[in-house]
Amino acid sequence: MDNSDDRAVLRARDFWASLGLIVLSIFFLWKTSDIPLFGGNRAGVSGADWYNSAAIVPLGIFSGMLVLSFVLLSIAIKEGGAKHALTSVGIGWNKVEALRFSTIGIIMLAYIVGLVPRVDFILCSGLLITALIYGYHGGHARRSVISTIFVGLAGLFAFAFYLPQSQWSAHVDDWVTLILWAVLSILVWLQSKGDRVLRIIPVIAITAPVFLVCAMAFGFRQNVPARTGLVFKQIEYHYYVTLRPIWRN
Amino acid sequence: MEFILTQLSGFGGAFWALVIDPLTYIYLIVSVFLGITFGALPGLTATLAVTILTGFFGNKIPLDYSMIALLGAYVGAIYGGSYPSILLNIPGTAASAATAMDGYPLAKAGRGGEALGLTTTASFIGTVIGTFALLIFVWVLLLISKNIASPEKALLALFGILLSGTLMSEDLVIKGWIAGLIGLAIAMVGLDPLLSEPRYTFGWSYLLSGFQVVPVLMGAFAVPQIIEGLRHMEAGKVIALQGRILPNMKSIKRYLPTIGRSGVIGTGVGALPGVGEDVAGWVSYGVGKTVSDEGDKFGKGSIEGLLSSETANNACIGGALIPLLVLGIPGSPPAAALMGAFKINNIIPGPTIDPAIILRVVAIMLLASFTMFIMGLFTARIFIKILRIPQTVFLPIVMVLTTIGSFSVGGGINDLYLMLGVGFAAYLMNMMRYPIAPLVIGVILGGLFDETFRRSLLISDGDLSVFVSRPGAAILLTLNVLLILSQLPFVKRAFGRLRGNPA
Repeated sequence: MDNSDDRAVLRARDFWASLGLIVLSIFFLWKTSDIPLFGGNRAGVSGADWYNSAAIVPLGIFSGMLVLSFVLLSIAIKEGGAKHALTSVGIGWNKVEALRFSTIGIIMLAYIVGLVPRVDFILCSGLLITALIYGYHGGHARRSVISTIFVGLAGLFAFAFYLPQSQWSAHVDDWVTLILWAVLSILVWLQSKGDRVLRIIPVIAITAPVFLVCAMAFGFRQNVPARTGLVFKQIEYHYYVTLRPIWRN
Repeated sequence: MEFILTQLSGFGGAFWALVIDPLTYIYLIVSVFLGITFGALPGLTATLAVTILTGFFGNKIPLDYSMIALLGAYVGAIYGGSYPSILLNIPGTAASAATAMDGYPLAKAGRGGEALGLTTTASFIGTVIGTFALLIFVWVLLLISKNIASPEKALLALFGILLSGTLMSEDLVIKGWIAGLIGLAIAMVGLDPLLSEPRYTFGWSYLLSGFQVVPVLMGAFAVPQIIEGLRHMEAGKVIALQGRILPNMKSIKRYLPTIGRSGVIGTGVGALPGVGEDVAGWVSYGVGKTVSDEGDKFGKGSIEGLLSSETANNACIGGALIPLLVLGIPGSPPAAALMGAFKINNIIPGPTIDPAIILRVVAIMLLASFTMFIMGLFTARIFIKILRIPQTVFLPIVMVLTTIGSFSVGGGINDLYLMLGVGFAAYLMNMMRYPIAPLVIGVILGGLFDETFRRSLLISDGDLSVFVSRPGAAILLTLNVLLILSQLPFVKRAFGRLRGNPA
């Protein structure tokens, strides 16, 4: 893309962004009207003056944002942003880039929303590392789709079957994730001939999350996600029951 | 004189306490190594290094060790950015962008070892200059800042956001300001600081305490880097390193004036709120090109050009800590991440900060710069090997690190959702060339701005003249207005006409 194309894409995006910002600013200005400005009772304290209001700074921020959004809109329109907004130039993305971004987005979403809260951290992080390296090393579109399917399936299963927080410690999703990770690893192993990066995936996928979670939980005494997960529960048990007494005694 | 002696003895005490503690060295070596690695790997930044370590160490280890780890990583990462700039022609961090202009041609000409050796020395001297500036100016400013009241604090916070929006914008300045306003808007969520009025919580109890700084930092700085790194293919081949890395004294002596000048520029730029190492590098490079005898060689493999940017970006670290420690306003994006670490450790940078902390920061910076220097000279080849690791291998690990760090500091799943939401939004903003640093600085300074602005109005019974009746406030208000006016098209045109350039 040359510079003029780049600029056209940018202004088209600015056009859409400014419209979005205008809508957001108006929405939040409207929401700000819920906060008493002149008088009213705030947190049990009666206030009578505008300068005493919790709404005064937000009003300034969202008004400022509204004004700046209109200025941005006018710049975008002046520089041809509106003209390109509905054309392919306005999108500024080709099919390959769109696929790459959407697959990364789905994988991250499945990992954070579906897997991390419910599934053992070592298992889900192992699956994530395997999927991301396999899917995005070397730029093979097919591999990124396969990776997305694996992480997406695991995430969707955990999310859909264990939606209420009270069910988050169930282990079926751990097993599903483990199986999906094993299948994906076999797939990677089958294709790893001649590719050094693919060959080291299983090593990284196991050592990185195990090291991190153990350092965090036992070294820095930090909270870690899904403490009752299939693998971490065993590690924690043996750390406190088997290993720790050895040096404590 | 007595004051100076007291400070020097205080600094000596802090330095000695660190030197005799064996754990200091473990944290220093590991953090500087990690920092250089983060800087050396294109796609990872100094801000990310500090942010991730903030999440990793959180508030569960003593503050001293936490500061060693974070400052060590900060110093190491800014220096480490020079490796890919010189050997790959890809800046490891934005701060090393100017370094690539001369570093790569030098490496191609077989002078990579010499370039790396001089860069290491210059980065070390730059960090020391910035550190001593921190030691000297922080006390002067602290004395002045004792007289700073709410109106000045509010206007200073606003100035920090506006300035960072102005200087960090790659496209339109207005986008930097919008990013700053978005940051301020994010900071408004939760209970307001004076009356505990809930704002924009939508009935969700998690939002009552507002957004946590660390997940926002992780989302804003880490997630977009991960997406961007995975979206694009790995680039470039590392040039084989030729020549000895250890620089000779003759070369260092020859370039000492350049190093000194760049150190001062870097420190000065760093002291500007919210600006950062990348601006420092470019400003120093620009000045170097203008004043140097070999200005025409800049961009074609000039050692002076290389040293101009590399000294300045490291000197900027000390400078960036001055407004952070004195005023509670971060001087650069990594300093903003550092402020997040201070916050979760219940340390409030600003006029009320414990002076012992400042002395410890200076002592740590000095030790970190020594560690970086030794590591840079004697283990450079390890980092060159690390440079060959493809982005697609280390970015997934960064994703896992980010997740566990964000979760551990906040202790809740909601923080992860926040991190992801901010991350996707920041990625889209990056795509549209909105700078992210003003957003983060807006989030960090939002509470301070809100509280001090309203307190000023409360004290003056709503009389807005409180922002002009005090000399400090009047100066800061004028600076804010001038900054806005300077970006208006008709003012720019008028200035252009005055300079004889009507465009």
